[in-house]
Amino acid sequence: MDPARCTGCGVCLDACPIRYEVQLPPEDAARARTAYAAATDEAAVADIIASHREERGNLLPILLAVNSHFNWLPQAALEHVAGELQIPLTEVLRVASFYNAFSLVPRGKHIISVCLGTGCFVKGSPRLLDQLERRLGIRHGQTTADMLFTLEVVRCIGCCALAPAIRIGDDTFGRLTTGQADKIINTYTKTASL
Amino acid sequence: MKITSLDQLKKIAEQGLKLTYPDKIKIMVGMATCGISSGADKVYRALEAKIAELGLDAALEKTGCIGFCQKEPLVDVIYPGKVRLTYEAMTPARAEALAEALQAGEIYPEQLLCRIDQEEFLVEGKTRHYANPHPPALPVDVLKYEEIPFFQKQVKVALRNCGFIHPERIEEYIARGGYTGLYKVLTSMNPEAVIAEVKASGLRGRGGAGFPTGLKWEFAYKNQSDTKYVICNADEGDPGAFMDRGILEGDPHAVIEGMAIGAFAIGAQEGYIYCRAEYPLAIHRLKIAIRQAEDLGLLGDEIFGTGFSFNLRIREGAGAFVCGEETALIASIEGRVGEPRPRPPFPAQSGLWGKPTIINNVKTWSHIAPILTRGAEWYAGFGTKSSPGTTVFAMVGKVNNTGLVEIPLGITLREMIFEIGGGIDRGRDFKAVQTGGPSGGCIPGEYLDTPVDYESLGALGSIMGSGGMIVMDERDCMVDVAKYFIDFTKDESCGKCTPCREGTLRLMEMLETITAGKGQEGDIDKLVKMSELIKKTSLCGLGQTAPNPVLSTIKYFRDEYEAHIRDQKCPAHVCKDLITFRVLDQCNGCQLCRLKCPVEAIEGAKKVVHRVIQEKCIKCGTCYEKCKFGAIVVE
Repeated sequence: MDPARCTGCGVCLDACPIRYEVQLPPEDAARARTAYAAATDEAAVADIIASHREERGNLLPILLAVNSHFNWLPQAALEHVAGELQIPLTEVLRVASFYNAFSLVPRGKHIISVCLGTGCFVKGSPRLLDQLERRLGIRHGQTTADMLFTLEVVRCIGCCALAPAIRIGDDTFGRLTTGQADKIINTYTKTASL
Repeated sequence: MKITSLDQLKKIAEQGLKLTYPDKIKIMVGMATCGISSGADKVYRALEAKIAELGLDAALEKTGCIGFCQKEPLVDVIYPGKVRLTYEAMTPARAEALAEALQAGEIYPEQLLCRIDQEEFLVEGKTRHYANPHPPALPVDVLKYEEIPFFQKQVKVALRNCGFIHPERIEEYIARGGYTGLYKVLTSMNPEAVIAEVKASGLRGRGGAGFPTGLKWEFAYKNQSDTKYVICNADEGDPGAFMDRGILEGDPHAVIEGMAIGAFAIGAQEGYIYCRAEYPLAIHRLKIAIRQAEDLGLLGDEIFGTGFSFNLRIREGAGAFVCGEETALIASIEGRVGEPRPRPPFPAQSGLWGKPTIINNVKTWSHIAPILTRGAEWYAGFGTKSSPGTTVFAMVGKVNNTGLVEIPLGITLREMIFEIGGGIDRGRDFKAVQTGGPSGGCIPGEYLDTPVDYESLGALGSIMGSGGMIVMDERDCMVDVAKYFIDFTKDESCGKCTPCREGTLRLMEMLETITAGKGQEGDIDKLVKMSELIKKTSLCGLGQTAPNPVLSTIKYFRDEYEAHIRDQKCPAHVCKDLITFRVLDQCNGCQLCRLKCPVEAIEGAKKVVHRVIQEKCIKCGTCYEKCKFGAIVVE
């Protein structure tokens, strides 16, 4: 705030999205942060922030990297990022909740993305999705109890010529039938039980 | 090494030629995402192992997608000084047999798609023949590349190198005339001349809106500023379009060179490629390409030893369709929520961090270098008067030949679907073609002779869009398709303006009611009214075009809406609430459907006519598809 120009009207106070939050000096804020699950997590996030520190508009790249490190965005990491970048946590949350790539809840080891692009849609991907939901016993957007799979829908992965397609982790599978999708899930389940 | 002269560039080109066309047999596997998802990586590994096992003296390389995704995995064998043979639908076993045939000095006769006798080096306007002087006679019967209907009418400008070079080697790009355009621009032209050339070419933005590219550049050029930016929009969000991915995975340098030329033209020093995170391979190859260009001094400070410097960065998107809108894209690069803002000011006046910025699509950028080397007149020779040049379409849906096709603008939808696309899958009837993604519309059969250009498609209530072309047949319900697109825009609406946020929700509710068989007379008029309102009052292109799929399906397929509302029937047998599956008496009791039914909703003993238990049936259609005797009907 620039004290020389402030008229004391109070509009900013009303509009402030974090006025009901306890504001601490930065050093105390770091201490007050929600605890990370593992001791190494803080260092990992600190590294990510450090590697993007000089970049202009670095919030998105940092969140993407944190999201891919944890598979989701833990609250502690968001608080860490907000503190380091001097951005209000509400703004960080706004960005984190706006983009589809981010998850604010823990996700499974394998993220299954069923493509619902137009090409896949007309070639029957809604049925593929139904089948996967039945097979895994979850709706899309949810994670299995054993934390092995998260089922998501994605709007086009660019495999339209091989529709319907799904992506599991980094692997893409095209021209799938419901039966094949089941088999693919089984191979992942088997690998996990080894 | 930093290249500072044309001679040095030519030396790299020579190295590239040796890599592209080595003195020994070269095997290339198409390794774009489409290839990999159909098993090209397994084919590659099988070839690698077999070549090592046999001690075969052959080079094994990766390449991008030649466009014919339907036939993936594709493997090419180049016989030095003779011919190139393309094999389709390869498997690891077939790949091993191929390697064995090569070891024995024979031609593997199976799975042959075509022979390629010559390649066009588009940028230089040269044709390189594999054999000199005559293509050899082959002991196998195989069509030539140019005889395949899928390739016949194509003119590849943006896709010039895809499927011909190794996308991770800058030398191979340079070998085919790469970076000569940038050299020409930096050493012999001024910005005004570059802009004049692009303007004269008539190139229009290939991202969808079709704004003249040269004009956009001129605006940015005329805006004085110490800092300016160029951005490549690679946030290919339209479902059903994947040509940007194809170009970035198959020929990333085409985009980089175009951007460097654009930066010089408007006076920018920095650029960003905003690529969606759903394309990991494209991002990977872009990173490699940028590093290689920097190593050779084709990006960075004082390019070609001139005073021009240009740095390029990649920004990953995070899965928001609206970020394809230019002001939202800029907000996203700035690290903010990707919400659009009203224009003016246009980005060419005040864009990234408030500086003049031009944003062009991947396809637009990849057209730039050939336009500058071959000249505006050459480029404008393709296409029509108002829509010159070529454009890339993703031909998908219910056609026989799916893939990426680049055509001169002005050819008809019929030529595209029935000649290049090879007609409708399984011999069914054509119903509609959807262009322009969620902003476009569905075009019915009576307009198949419409030429593909910006104005003609616009007149039909659709748009060119970024180039998705989804073909639908008699089994697609147009109300369901409209619902699908509204569901998409409803999810992807950023929520900033009310007409789009609330309007799409209301449209969705109405469409859900109709597809559930609970529609009432007058609903269609309500849909139209709401659609018009959203179009007129939304903030950005997303909302302004979101109702197009509804309006175009009502315009051309009103009878289907009426059937849903008046008769509670879905003529295409898609909408689940309006259909039932039934077993006919001709059922021979083979049990296949009973075993395949995911919810045990079919009963019946062996050799006894089965029955669908309607209460349990989830109408997934599995039984209908599995039945080999046509004994299951949907009505």
